[in-house]
Amino acid sequence: MIGPAALFIGVFVLIPMALTIWLSFQDWSTQTPFGTARFVGLRNYHDIFSQLSVGRDFKAALRNTALYTALSVALLLPLSVLLGLLVHQRTVPGGQVLRTILFASYMVPMIAVALVWSKLFAPTEGPLNQILGWAGIGPQPWLSSPTTALYALVLLNVWQQIGYFTVLAVAGLTQIPAPLYEAARIDGAGPVQAFFGVTLPLLRRTLLFSTVISIINAVQVFEPVALITQGGPAGSTNVLTYHIRRVGIERSDGGLGSAMAVTLMLALIVAVTAIFALYRRGDRA
Amino acid sequence: MTRQPRIVRALLVSLIVALAVMSAFPFLWMVLSSFKTAEESMRTPPVWIPAAASLESYGAVSDVIQAGRSLLNSAIIATLTTAGILVTSIMAGFAFAKYRFRGRDTLFGLMIAAMFLPPIVTLIPLFRMVSEMGLNGSLAGVILPNLANAFGIFLMRQFIAGVPDDLIDAARVDGASELRVVFSVVAPAVLPAIAALALFAFVYHWNTYLWPLTVLQGASEDYPIVLSLGRLLSYNRGAMNTPLVMAGATLAVLPPLVMFVFLQRFFVDSMVSAAVKG
Repeated sequence: MIGPAALFIGVFVLIPMALTIWLSFQDWSTQTPFGTARFVGLRNYHDIFSQLSVGRDFKAALRNTALYTALSVALLLPLSVLLGLLVHQRTVPGGQVLRTILFASYMVPMIAVALVWSKLFAPTEGPLNQILGWAGIGPQPWLSSPTTALYALVLLNVWQQIGYFTVLAVAGLTQIPAPLYEAARIDGAGPVQAFFGVTLPLLRRTLLFSTVISIINAVQVFEPVALITQGGPAGSTNVLTYHIRRVGIERSDGGLGSAMAVTLMLALIVAVTAIFALYRRGDRA
Repeated sequence: MTRQPRIVRALLVSLIVALAVMSAFPFLWMVLSSFKTAEESMRTPPVWIPAAASLESYGAVSDVIQAGRSLLNSAIIATLTTAGILVTSIMAGFAFAKYRFRGRDTLFGLMIAAMFLPPIVTLIPLFRMVSEMGLNGSLAGVILPNLANAFGIFLMRQFIAGVPDDLIDAARVDGASELRVVFSVVAPAVLPAIAALALFAFVYHWNTYLWPLTVLQGASEDYPIVLSLGRLLSYNRGAMNTPLVMAGATLAVLPPLVMFVFLQRFFVDSMVSAAVKG
């Protein structure tokens, strides 16, 4: 029964995973069979953290990805709770319609989203700067300046993913027993106190899950970079998924690319472990 | 709930409307722009509503890329991958839910860990493996590595665990083989979950970009629509091609969007159950 699934996951996930780790210690061109790989010890790791251009590019990509991920999580989590409350509330109608519209953007190809947003961001003929102009805010360079391009990509990411995290927040909210709110009200808590005293603490499990998923989703950013910015301007949107593919597939430097992939995986494991540790410590407090 | 004052209700309604408009705006802009003429799309300040709905761009999309062929490729990739995922997930989900065997929890844990692995981590060796199988530049190379999926196994296990053992044992007593038990007794009992997984897998593999791009580089005959869209952008770079790009994006967005709107109950339920039970 498990055979077919175990075969496919074994061959196409677990073996490649092991190969990535093995290749990260080899000098190997992606154009040639695995047998041509030559053991070089830690040299690839040494190179990607060195002052050589290989190292500088990789460290910049690591920083860009960390910033992109941190900003995405910092915007998505609070927004998802806020929107979740709006979808969940029964005071006024419209919550379900809002959920449908928010979630729709999560269901469409990222590549189409990237194309559409590249036109929304267009400095003169795009609508975003026009709308900002109505509010008396000057035009922004968006994707065309190294100081703003990464933030523009974060905005795009938040727009596409917020529906998913809102749905998760709603799922968390529906699990909070109504008597708890009743008790809070009897104790004289207002809506704000009820939110911080009941809602937020009971959403912790949901928020833990959302944090982990939003991190894993954010490090996968690829389409808008590959298609629109190509890592630029001035390397400001060169993120890891794009950079690893460029080094390992396009430049065929499979050893270096694998060392970068392993570093990304280790960074993710550290981040996720730290988040779980924080969560547990919060549980005891 | 106590009745809220009018002003609170009015504020809530306006907030919901404003957020819905903001969220839908890129879609609206996409569709509106696809009907503009090239000249309209270049004006400053931007034209919001085109003077006449020009269908020119939809025709042009087919000239630049083989839109029909690309949509067909997308449908083939998404359908075959989904079929594979359904078969492997139902079988493995059943085993994890109903069999007791040594190492079961370890194996399940390993699969769950695989679920969280970003695809880029295994991309380089996977690319090489598929080329050595001679499948580079072919739809088979796109489809084969994705025929089993940890999320699918996880989802099926969660739902099949709720199927009563008596039902399964009764079928066994009647002499049904294990495969028969799975596909004619267990599967019908979890049909809504299977529908959810089918929709989720179809949309995911319709949308996915990184893997087809890597396997199909240059083999534009086999490009799914998401890859062909990239070629629209490099055609006539700049604001000139906006209606063309928007028409292409609309074509790529419509199938998953329509599926979602009509079947969203399934999607959302499966997402939620994955999170809540997880």
